[in-house]
Amino acid sequence: MTNRPILDIRNLNVSYETSTGPIVALKDISLTLKENESLGIIGESGCGKSTLSYSILDYLPSNAHRSGSIMYQEEDLLLHNHREMQKIRGNRIAMVYQNPYSALNPSLTIGDQLDEVSRIHRGLSKKEARKESIAALKDLSLGEAEGIVLRYPHQISGGIQQRICIAMALLCQPDVLLLDEPTTALDVTTEASILDIIKELKMKRNMSMIYISHDIGVINKVSDRIAVMYRGEIVEIGPKQEIYFHPKHPYTRALINCMPRAGVKKENTLLNTIPGYVSRRSAAEKGCPFASRCEKRNATCEAAYGLKSINDNHNAACDRAYAEDVPDKPKRQPIVKKQNDTTIFTETPVVSTENDSLLIVDNIYKYYKNRSRTVRALDGINTEVKKHDILGVVGESGCGKSTLGHIVAGLFEPTKGSLLFQGKDISKNWKHRSEDIIKNIQLVFQNPGRSLNPSFTVGQVLDRPIEKMLGVKSRQERKKIMVDLLKKVDMGQEYLNRKTTRLSGGEKQRIAVARVFITSPQLIVCDEPTSALDVSVQASVLNLLCELQEQSHTSYIFISHDLNVINYLSDHILVMYLGRVCEYGLRDEVVKPPYHPYTEALLSAVPDVDPSTNRKPIRLEGSPPNPSKKIVGCPFASRCHKVISGLCDTTPAPRKQVSDTHHIFCHLSEDKMVGDAHL
Amino acid sequence: MKQLFYVAKRNPLIFPALLILIFWIFAALFGPQFTRFSYTEMDMDYQMAAPGTAGHFLGTDALGRDIWARIIYGSSSILTIALLTSLFSSLAGVIIGFNAGYFGGAVDRFFLRIMDIVMAIPPLVLSMVVLGVIGNSNIGTLTLIVSIAYTPATARVARGAMLSNKNMEYVDAARLRGESHIYIMFREILPNTIGPIIVEVTARFAYSIMMVASLGFLGVGLQPPTPDWGMMVIENKTIIRAAPWAVLYPSLAIASLVIAISLFSDFMSKVVYNDQ
Repeated sequence: MTNRPILDIRNLNVSYETSTGPIVALKDISLTLKENESLGIIGESGCGKSTLSYSILDYLPSNAHRSGSIMYQEEDLLLHNHREMQKIRGNRIAMVYQNPYSALNPSLTIGDQLDEVSRIHRGLSKKEARKESIAALKDLSLGEAEGIVLRYPHQISGGIQQRICIAMALLCQPDVLLLDEPTTALDVTTEASILDIIKELKMKRNMSMIYISHDIGVINKVSDRIAVMYRGEIVEIGPKQEIYFHPKHPYTRALINCMPRAGVKKENTLLNTIPGYVSRRSAAEKGCPFASRCEKRNATCEAAYGLKSINDNHNAACDRAYAEDVPDKPKRQPIVKKQNDTTIFTETPVVSTENDSLLIVDNIYKYYKNRSRTVRALDGINTEVKKHDILGVVGESGCGKSTLGHIVAGLFEPTKGSLLFQGKDISKNWKHRSEDIIKNIQLVFQNPGRSLNPSFTVGQVLDRPIEKMLGVKSRQERKKIMVDLLKKVDMGQEYLNRKTTRLSGGEKQRIAVARVFITSPQLIVCDEPTSALDVSVQASVLNLLCELQEQSHTSYIFISHDLNVINYLSDHILVMYLGRVCEYGLRDEVVKPPYHPYTEALLSAVPDVDPSTNRKPIRLEGSPPNPSKKIVGCPFASRCHKVISGLCDTTPAPRKQVSDTHHIFCHLSEDKMVGDAHL
Repeated sequence: MKQLFYVAKRNPLIFPALLILIFWIFAALFGPQFTRFSYTEMDMDYQMAAPGTAGHFLGTDALGRDIWARIIYGSSSILTIALLTSLFSSLAGVIIGFNAGYFGGAVDRFFLRIMDIVMAIPPLVLSMVVLGVIGNSNIGTLTLIVSIAYTPATARVARGAMLSNKNMEYVDAARLRGESHIYIMFREILPNTIGPIIVEVTARFAYSIMMVASLGFLGVGLQPPTPDWGMMVIENKTIIRAAPWAVLYPSLAIASLVIAISLFSDFMSKVVYNDQ
């Protein structure tokens, strides 16, 4: 590895002109990217990660002002005009965007879009360009590249679309590749294979790259060095091992520690949280950007500021960067032990244990029909939710987990099958449910911005359910209940008069949770309640959900695509694939062998936060089969790495009872259902 | 409020528009107290008098009636009809459009077909035919018929706003606490669609003025001797060479009001959509 810098950013400032005055997006960013190096940039949303990459390519909106310098080889990109930049973009510095669906033109074939790059930038003929395109796709281990080039973007899966975007970026052999959250919109197993490809590319070609992500696990896989950004500044930069094992800046430490990861469970740990949220920055502000949320701030934080060197290549922008006692081991103290270390199981449950199931899902089917086809969203689901228990439902997008949750909550009816809630049949939708059932089953939505009425104040949002469902007529009494509710979710009563649109994502989700708890329901369906939130906010919402569940003895159906979150929160786990159950059991049984091959693949795909472990994910080839086709055998057979051909694809998988509480639907014998994937 | 000023500063045209609007509203409310002549009074000495002659500020028409007085008196009827029309058609449009959009399916198809039928007939033709049959049109019948003619357009706007809101999760949240359809439509969703609806109401206001003036021009508007701007234009068409002011000033009145309201409506849409 040479040490020549290829991209040298010096004192880059970016600000936006708005009706309320200028907003600082980037402040004094200095950064060097060396040849052949992979730099990861991490930070929460709104920290300027994307602005940084866009400003390198001059893709900023017209109200942005840049100052400073961006030296690419010997040229200052800031001095280039539009035409000169066109020669750099795509040609010398290429970019891969977050969402491949919108990065590809839906009305051109993949081949046409790929060819265009070589034809415009390198002046190749149509035939030559096509040859190049196919070679580029093959380079990314895309099987039948000749077939793919003839298709349109909507005919291929998200993972392949993103690979095509990467191929497109690589066609001109750029020196620098900018990747802006390229796997955030994808499923974990797809993400794992894309990360694999990026890693391979890095080895094969001498290319420098900047990888932007909010997930330190992802960054760990592909980067050598990590820069941590917060509110438009780089607060810490250094080799990934140092950043992970010896973080110096309080923000870095907080960010690493607030993610639920490897083996963290609710019984013995409370997730670390960062109070407050990322606020906008005005031009006048000085000092450490993190000062307002830092628990270790002192007077100097608001005045002095600047990156300080810790050793040759590790810099942190904290006053106490030197003084900090460096622990030998990864610092995990911020994960605080709970006062009483009893798990919720050892507490005496409020209800008798004799018949402890609250909800029985009995062979539920949900078909969506239109004239030409039938989509099988749920294809015979059997499961149960126990009293005072959290059932985690996990699976990739399109597996039917949300449909299941919405049917339980009563948004729509199942096509076939029944739901028994405390022995009563509730397999009908909200229109036909009794008031009592409605009160006892509530739903927390994924996106709090959409689930709280944007033209209401917090008070209006909470007031109506109290009036309607609790029947409280007196205004004073309702207000008292609201204040108590807000206290429960750690919010003050000053929020009552605020518009919901003026709240941050975390505050919104807290209000949504408070609303659900108004009727003290016995079952709450949480449909990906944290996936729209930043990690630090996710931690506080998870803590809150956990705490409320313990206090109120409610049951949850917790739906998530994130196995770390599911593992942290759940008592039981249900793994779903294509509308069917793969595996069900106690949490600790599911995340360890023996497991369903799909569970194994999911577990192996979870990006590891700890950079010292290095495991190879199981690559799932292809995409899930079309849900409108009737599947005879095991739905996972087409992608399974342990498939027994002739059996799995023709005969439905039998139910294997591993223990009293654990069953798996698979043809494999128990001794074959092993692997080294774990959390 | 801050937003309002910010948009106003970037669109200075709103200030003359507001001035014109305020002038006409003032004229409609208090104007008659400030005119020297009554709108029916015929000054036999000064027929087709030029503007400024004998106290006739804008001149007189063939019968010696004061143009200024007639325009001022006429403003109150045209503003009343236009205001009521835009309000009624928006109200009916919101109710129909919301129901069609919210329930979808057969309800939607039913309302859409009716709307299509009404829309297939040009509003002017529809109003003319109906008013021609009724014969004696007054403020009530005019308002009613113009409202009906304009309802389909507002219904479509309301339906579109409903469609973009009805799949939001806050609607599901309301359903899951057992709210009625009426409550969900008008208490939960309406506040979120108020922006486009306000824009529609103001735009309808401008259209209504054009429509009322056109109907007056075609002779099926308000009946003489009530002064009507459109009617004034057609009455004085025959003397356009001798007394051009008798046609010019009513036309200018119509134009100024329509332009002012259009600018206002434009401004409102900027305020509403800038906010999102």
